[in-house]
Amino acid sequence: MSEHGNWPEWVYIGVVVALLVWVGAEAWNIERLVEEVPEDAQVIKVTGQQWFWSFEHEDGTKEIGELHLVKGKAYKFEVTSKDVIHSFNIHDYVVLMDAVPGRINIVWFAPDEVGEFEIQCREYCGLIHYNMRAKLYVEEAI
Amino acid sequence: MRNTIGLLLVLTVLFIIPTLEYAFGQEEPGKYLNRRVEIWNLFFRLMVVAFTIGAVVSGTLVWLCIRFRESNPKAKPTKYEESGAW
Repeated sequence: MSEHGNWPEWVYIGVVVALLVWVGAEAWNIERLVEEVPEDAQVIKVTGQQWFWSFEHEDGTKEIGELHLVKGKAYKFEVTSKDVIHSFNIHDYVVLMDAVPGRINIVWFAPDEVGEFEIQCREYCGLIHYNMRAKLYVEEAI
Repeated sequence: MRNTIGLLLVLTVLFIIPTLEYAFGQEEPGKYLNRRVEIWNLFFRLMVVAFTIGAVVSGTLVWLCIRFRESNPKAKPTKYEESGAW
């Protein structure tokens, strides 16, 4: 042991490690909460292809370029792609999931506001990527 | 060594255990949580931590540079410099 104490270094390391542990724990916990899909969520199949989005509801209804949902209900998106990698994004609801050919990725949300929202592709997927958009209409429950 | 272990124990009790309890003792999954709120709140909390760590680390470096510069009035030669060994 050296002549001088080195406790300030240990306090320093301890505080930084504690903060990093906190960061990791918080992020892990929120991810766990956000990824747990409610049991009563309705399944919507989302397919991306150059350069539009198509949607299929549980009852077989299909929509292209627009999606009609009801406020206050939970929806589970099963996201896939027919050609290249896209990314399904509803910016206002912080929904973001890659659409990968041959894979079904899952993301869910429950809209809490009535209105029109933008759906867009968030992964560069070719010439008209910039305009690979769709409209989300959230309507009042009848 | 014993002091170090003691200090780490104290830090564990003071910071790490409460942190874990705080993080894991929150709501259970399965509810209709608002992911927009959860994710943005997480982002802001983590930014607070990031800036705190940044401030502590850069503040310590600035303090070290000012305090231990040769021209600081409080500066004194190390024992190696005094003895001419270095």
